[in-house]
Formats: sequence, C-alpha cells, structure tokens
Amino acid sequence: MNRGGNRWLTAFALLIYAFLFAPIVVLIVFSFNISRRNFVWLGFTTDWYPKLFANQSLTDALGVTLQVAAIAVVGSTILGSLLGLGLARLKFRGSGATETLILLPMVTPEIIMGISLLIFFAQLFGQNGSLGQIAIAHVTFCISYVAVTVRARAAGMDPRLEEAARDLGASARGAFWHVTLPLIAPAVAAGAMLAFALSFDDLVITSFNTGVGSTTLPVEIYSAIKLGVSPQINAISTIIVAVVSIALLIAWRLGAFRTERGSMVVEDAPPA
Amino acid sequence: MAAPPTPAGAAGVNGTAGAAGTTLSPAVAAIRVPFVNRLAGIVLILPGVLWLALFFLAPLVIILVVSLGTRDAGGHITLANPGVQNYIQATRPEYLPAFANSLRYAGITTILSILIGYPIAYWISRFGGRQKILLLILVMLPFWTSYLIRTYAWMIILRDNGVLNSILQAVGLTNDPIVFLNTDFSVILGMTYGFLPFAILPLFVSIDRMDHHLVEAARDLFASGRAAFLHVTLPLTMPGIIAAALLTFIPAIGDYVTPDLLGGAQTTTIAKIVQVLFTSGRDWPYGSALGFLLMVVTLAGTLLALRTLRREVLA
Amino acid sequence: MTPGPQDPQIVFERELERYLTDQRMTRRQMLARVAAVGAAVALAPVVAACNAAGVTSPSPSAASPSAPGASAPPSATPSPSRSPTPVPSPESELFIYNWDAYIGDHTVADFQSKYGIRVKYDKFPDADTQMTKLRSDGKGGGYDVSYPASTEIPALITDGVLLALDPGLIPNAANLRPEWTSPGYDPGNKYSMPNYWWTTGFAWDPGRIPDDLTSWDALWDIRWKSHMGMLDDQREVFAVAGFRLGLSPNTTSETDLDAMLAILKEQKPLLRKYTDDDIGDVTSGDLWISHAWSGDWYQMIADKPKTKYVVPATGAVRGNDTMVVLSGAKHPIAAQLWINYNLDAQVSANNTNYIGYMGPNAAAEALIDPAITGDQRLNPPQSILDKLVELLYLPPADLDKYTKRWTELRA
Repeated sequence: MNRGGNRWLTAFALLIYAFLFAPIVVLIVFSFNISRRNFVWLGFTTDWYPKLFANQSLTDALGVTLQVAAIAVVGSTILGSLLGLGLARLKFRGSGATETLILLPMVTPEIIMGISLLIFFAQLFGQNGSLGQIAIAHVTFCISYVAVTVRARAAGMDPRLEEAARDLGASARGAFWHVTLPLIAPAVAAGAMLAFALSFDDLVITSFNTGVGSTTLPVEIYSAIKLGVSPQINAISTIIVAVVSIALLIAWRLGAFRTERGSMVVEDAPPA
Repeated sequence: MAAPPTPAGAAGVNGTAGAAGTTLSPAVAAIRVPFVNRLAGIVLILPGVLWLALFFLAPLVIILVVSLGTRDAGGHITLANPGVQNYIQATRPEYLPAFANSLRYAGITTILSILIGYPIAYWISRFGGRQKILLLILVMLPFWTSYLIRTYAWMIILRDNGVLNSILQAVGLTNDPIVFLNTDFSVILGMTYGFLPFAILPLFVSIDRMDHHLVEAARDLFASGRAAFLHVTLPLTMPGIIAAALLTFIPAIGDYVTPDLLGGAQTTTIAKIVQVLFTSGRDWPYGSALGFLLMVVTLAGTLLALRTLRREVLA
Repeated sequence: MTPGPQDPQIVFERELERYLTDQRMTRRQMLARVAAVGAAVALAPVVAACNAAGVTSPSPSAASPSAPGASAPPSATPSPSRSPTPVPSPESELFIYNWDAYIGDHTVADFQSKYGIRVKYDKFPDADTQMTKLRSDGKGGGYDVSYPASTEIPALITDGVLLALDPGLIPNAANLRPEWTSPGYDPGNKYSMPNYWWTTGFAWDPGRIPDDLTSWDALWDIRWKSHMGMLDDQREVFAVAGFRLGLSPNTTSETDLDAMLAILKEQKPLLRKYTDDDIGDVTSGDLWISHAWSGDWYQMIADKPKTKYVVPATGAVRGNDTMVVLSGAKHPIAAQLWINYNLDAQVSANNTNYIGYMGPNAAAEALIDPAITGDQRLNPPQSILDKLVELLYLPPADLDKYTKRWTELRA
C-alpha cells in the first residue's frame, strides 16, 4: 500500500468535506447576525429564531414543502421502482420507447415543465395552483431519477438468485419479497432519498404551480434572496440542518449504516 | 417451470443483463421470453407510464402546440397561423454566446465534479471501513439543506466585502477586494458545488462494486500504482464515470438559478433567455420553441452518448 | 306613514336599483347572492351607498379613516335614523399578491386586527412572475388583490382580469391628489387605485466615487467597470439609453431602438450585473453605482447613509403602480376594504415612511416623515415632475421590438 498516496488522498478528502460544509457553516453563523440585510457581520443576536416561529409565511411554506416532499417520495418511489424493475427484467417491444420516456423529464428544461403544467391545470381544469398540483408536479419529475437508479441495480442483479429461490420451493411472491426486493432495496432507498432532495429543493417547476397559501420554502427563499434576505431564512436553514443531522446521528447510533453482510451495500455475484 | 402469471415469478427468467460484472452467457441470454413475462413487465411499468403520459406528455404536447402558434394583437396565444416560424427565429445567431455559456459551464462543472468526486468516492470506499455509508451520507448532508440557501451562502462568502475577501485582506494577500462574485468563476464554483453529490453517488456505487483484489493482483504482477489505476481501476469504474457525467451534465445545461444568483451581466445562459422570453417578453410561443430546441439538442446528445455506451450505463 | 323622498326605505330602494343596474344583476340574482353569502355581505355596497347619500359628504382633509359601517361595533347601526340595515361584514379572508418589503411594517397586522379578516400575503420576486400568475387563468390566479404597474392596466382591463371597483366601498379615494383621480391608463380609477409612484435615476457610493454625478453618462464611465449595475428591466434600461440619445422611451421606431441597442452593447462589458436587488447590491458594496428606483435609494440609506441619488435633467422615468381587485376574487368586499384602508391618510403615511415611496395621497402628506416629503429626490416638485416621462403600455407587436433587442443584448 502506498502510504504517502494514502495521506494525500485523505488530505484531499478532508479538504473536499470542508468545501462541502463551508457554506453551511457560514449559513449557521450568519443566522445570528444583527443586520437585517445580512451582508456584513454587524453583531450577535438570537432574535431571528423567535421571529422565525412567529413568521407565518415561512413556517407555512415549510409545512407545505414537507408535505409535498412526503407525497413526492412515496409516489415517485413506488411508480419509479416498478418502472425500473419492469424495464430491467424485460425486453419487450416498447422498452426502447419507455426508456426514452423516462429520459425525457430529465432533459426537459424546468421552465418548460413548469409552464406546461401551469397551462394544463389552469386551462384544462381551472385550477389555480395548490398543494396537490405541486405534489403532482414533483412526483412527475422524480419518477425518472428513481427509475434510473432502481433499473441500474435490478439489471445488475443476477436473475439466477430468484430462480434458485423458486427451485428451493419459494412461491413467486415469496421469491419477489424475500429475494428480489431486498436485493434492490438499496437502490429503492437511494432513489427515495434522491427524490426527497429533489422535491425539497425544487424552485422553477414549483413556482409556476403555487397557489394562494400553498407556496414552498424554495419559492419564498428565492423571493427573499432577490430582495434582501433576512437572517430568518438562515435560521430556518440552520434548523433544517440540525434536524437532519440529529436524525442521522440517531440512525447511526442504531447501526443503520454499518456495512455488514446483508446490509446496505451488497456484494453482487462475482463476475462470470 | 410452470410459473403462475405473477410479475415477480415471471420475471425470473431474464433477457439480458449487461452490467459490468454480471454477464450471462449468450445461451442463457437467448432464452425466449415467454409471453407471460412480457405481460408481467408491461404490468410493472404501466402505472409509471400512465402517470408520465398524463402529467408529463400531455402538458408537453400542449406546449408543443403553443410553440407552433403566435400571439394576436392583444397578446393572447392563437393558433390562427400555425407554423415553425418561432423555431426559425429561435435559431438566431445572436443567442449563440448564451448557448456557448451554457455548454461551457455545464462541461466544466461536469469535469470538475468527476475530478473531485472520484477521489472522494474512492477514499470512502477504500478507507471508510464500517462507516462507509455514514461518510457517504455526510457528503449528501449539504444536499438536504436548501440548495438556494447554499447558493446564497456562497454569495455571502464571495462578495466584495464577504468572508473570502475579508480573510484575504486580513492576511495581507490583497489590499482591494477581488471581484469573485458575478463572474464565470462564481458560477462554475456554485454549479460544481451543487452537482457534486450527483457525481459522487454513482461514482461511489461503481467504485465500491469493483473487486479490489483485482488491483492487488495487478500490483502483484509488477504493475506500478499508476498503471494499476489506469488499466484496472479506471476501466472497471468507467460505467460510474459515465453515469456521473450524464447525471451532472444534463441538469447543468438547463440550470437557471445558479447562474442567475451567482452570475452577472456576462454570464447569461440560454436557460435565462428562455425565461426572459416567457416572462419579460410575454411571448410563450417563442419561449416554448426555444425551450424545445434546447431540449431536443440535449436529448439528441444524450441518446447518442447512451447508444454507444448502452450496456455499461443503463442496463 | 307616507314615505317621503328621504325616507330610508326609499333611499335604500333607490340605491339598490342603482347597484343592480351598475352590476348588471337581476333581483333574482341578488336574492341568490343573499342566500349564498348572507344579506350582510350581499347588501353591503348598497348600505354604503345609502350612508354616502344620507350624510353630508366628508371634506377631503378630514377623510374618514374607514369604510362605512365596517368598523362600527356589530350591534350599532351606522346611523340611528336609517332603517334597520344589515351591518356589512366582509368575507373572513383576503388573498393578496405583492412585492416583498413593499408595505408598512405592520399594515397587514393592523388590518387583520381591525377587521378580523385573515390575510394571506403571498409575494413575487419580479413583475413578470406576477403577470404570469395573474394571467394564468385569466382572472387573477386565485388572488383577490394585487399590485400591477400602471403600464399593465389597459391590457388587464381589456382582458377582463380586473374587477370594476365599487366607489361606495372606497370612500378614501377622496384623499387622492387631484392629478391622480383620473390617470391616463385608467380614467376615473374605475379598475385601479394608484399605489406608489417613483422616479428612476441612479445611486452611488460617494466613498468609492467622490465625483458629483449628474448625467446618465456616468453609467458608461469606464472607471467604474465591474462595479456598475443596471436594473434588470428591459423598458427601464432602454429608457436610459433613450434619454442619453434624446429619444423617447416609448418609441416604436426600429432605427431608434437600434441606436439604443448600440450604446447598450457598449455599456454591457462595463457592467457587473443587471440587478433585481439594487438595494442589496449597493449596500453590500458590490456595486459602486447603480441604476435605481427612488424608493430603493431611501432604503439604501438605512444601511449606507452616505449613498447619493440623482435624477438626471436630460430625462428620467416616472412610474407608478396600482392596487387592483382581480376578477376572479373570492373576497371582493374584503379586497376593496383593503384598498380603502391603504388609502387612509395615516396608513398611507405609515407605508411611505417605511419603504420610502411617495403615495398619491394628499391627506397623508402631513403625516409623512419630512425627510421624505422635503427631499426633492423622493418627492420632486411639479417643475421637475413635468419633465419626467411615463412608460406607456406597448402592444405585443411593439413590445416584441424591445424584447428582440433585449435578448440580443443579454445573450
């Protein structure tokens, strides 16, 4: 083992982690800034946190964002996983077209997707934007990412494993539940996490589908950034980081991330 | 082998599976896929396809129709004179600089993301030990805070009177603030930062799946560290690199927000032009046409890349 | 008792008739409306009209601060001599769509507690987003009240996006200065009420730029390269080019526009950005000099007191925006109450004092911070106002000429 190389690699890795977290740290620090416009550091205060809880439009927006994300994750994970699985296991005449169909949302400019849904709902159904409409939009653009992720995993899975289970007497459903599903589970989980991140952060598509009282956090933040951000925005982001970190910490303590056999990272059959 | 017609059981016999590392012999691959299997596959994909057809394709068709229309004297979309005039107008040479900007930013971002992401993914995979997944999740953690807010944080850092300039001035490296923000530099930095997780994940999956014994074997056979990397590791992890490249480049081309917030007068992208046409220009037909052009170009490029690398990437 | 001409019942009947005619409603429809929303709400405008007809008209300087009847305690009738009239109680909610940071600090809260109406206050980051939303269904996108620029009003009226205002519900309109009672874009203020007005000049940091700047040429000065900004607004930017060349900012001549485009292209390499947030960019120090709106300069001073602002004598834009009720509004009464509330002298003054934009409100002037009313840059005297130019609405074919060049410039 090249020890010198290892040290450089580790140093580089740590540098990148620092790069990834630097803005987060700045974010948290500046949530305590006295200045309302939040450009230069003027002094320390914790006032923005209580003001945040009193700020109804921000807390409402957070609520909407989380609800939409929940629906988007559930919907897109189910639909996308089925899609990915179906495409990986079968070769049939429509599979090429289906593949392109999955690819299309990913290459479509967000403004096109956003406006097309706006016209679709407004002109066809007379809807003015609502939480449901946003959720539908989010499921739609998340499906592709889940499908691609699951498909990659399912295709790499050795089909003989399932066959072996059947040979050993498992029913078709049993084979699916106890062999296939656990094998693709990491990809499904990864797809779900990806869908959550995409939904939580979406701006352009969402901004065309908001309605009265149903606006999401990114839309609120974008308006705020354009016209002068208040540290309340930093405060809410700090809270989100804190919550996610604590959740991760708990999960880690419970051993969710240990890589042992049968756990998250699974070895495939050796190359033929 | 009388399999009851359920999706799971029927899916047991596969057509081909071509991921690097698991290949079926041609004999197995040539097994005919029974009708039930095909039916099962269709049943699996049907819900997703129906959803996409209703909420993606149908609206897209509407916008396509809009792009063929024009506006009447009152500014409303009309289909009285359908035609491709918007598309012809959209290929104005005056838009080339913006298009070039989009390509440039997306390209550099992709390369940088892979150059930075690969060593990190490698480090996590090889040296992460029992905490591999935790380290991976730590990489994703910033991803779960609002991407807008992280971009905004870069504004705080890169401003003329921001954190970076304050540090540089404090240590005496410069007297006057350096203009970091609203430049190519800040846009590429912001985009790379935003897309890095998109690159790291597939790279990690690919690197982690590789059997490191192969590298050891190469070293045993007197290959140098560099040769082992170039001839063993790199080719085996190429699928991950391709996936990372696609997952970064495609969204980066259409990225509107990062160049808008971190960029300036000289960094306009084609996505911004589309947005301007829709909003400031009130010209939905024209904006749709340009948007579609962008989409077609991106799609063509992607399909081309995929066709030549089909097996490695999506199978 | 034989009804006399001023008998409350006669007055009511007369006003009801008038109301029905104005609204093109049949009695049957009115009954249906009463059934739907209650007599109080349905008959509120009629009651208001009765009160207006019954009492002597209030003098402008002593404007009554609230809509008739709405602030009266529930048990009291507006005037003891009226026949029993239902106290108009507006709808319980109100949906507003406005810019961020464009209203007094506690105007919404005060309105909510005064009328018990719950306000949902959504914001948009730029005017184009606003228009897209309001026009998405042709009726206002689900909102009750919004704040379009005056240039949009003619088209919005023609397209039926706006609801005709009921003057009976907005008695504070009497507070308007005479020149605002019938603006060109909406004669008689039938569909809109003026909100704020402004000038567009440029602001700079004397710490970085010690010169005394007076002309648009300053925005082409190579010394401020990479520290200069223009507003991200195609009409405003072309207007500046126009003023520098002596051309009208409302021109539709292709040669004029080409000339403007030429000098804008010369300017572009010197610019740092086309900004939406002139306040932020100047106060943060990124921009030493920027194209800016007058009210924004007032907010810059809060963080950077030495910032200067000038409206060049060669010409500048004067603009205003409006308050409107959307035609699809679900709470039209509350909406007009809101508009009326903001035309109240004290409320209007509060708004202006917070954001620095002058309102059209004569009665409010005494209550506005003299730092604003006394400052010629925020409140130019008539002699200067006469030289300023308003941006006019351009039909699509003409706006396209601008858009084509604007996208060419930006790309």
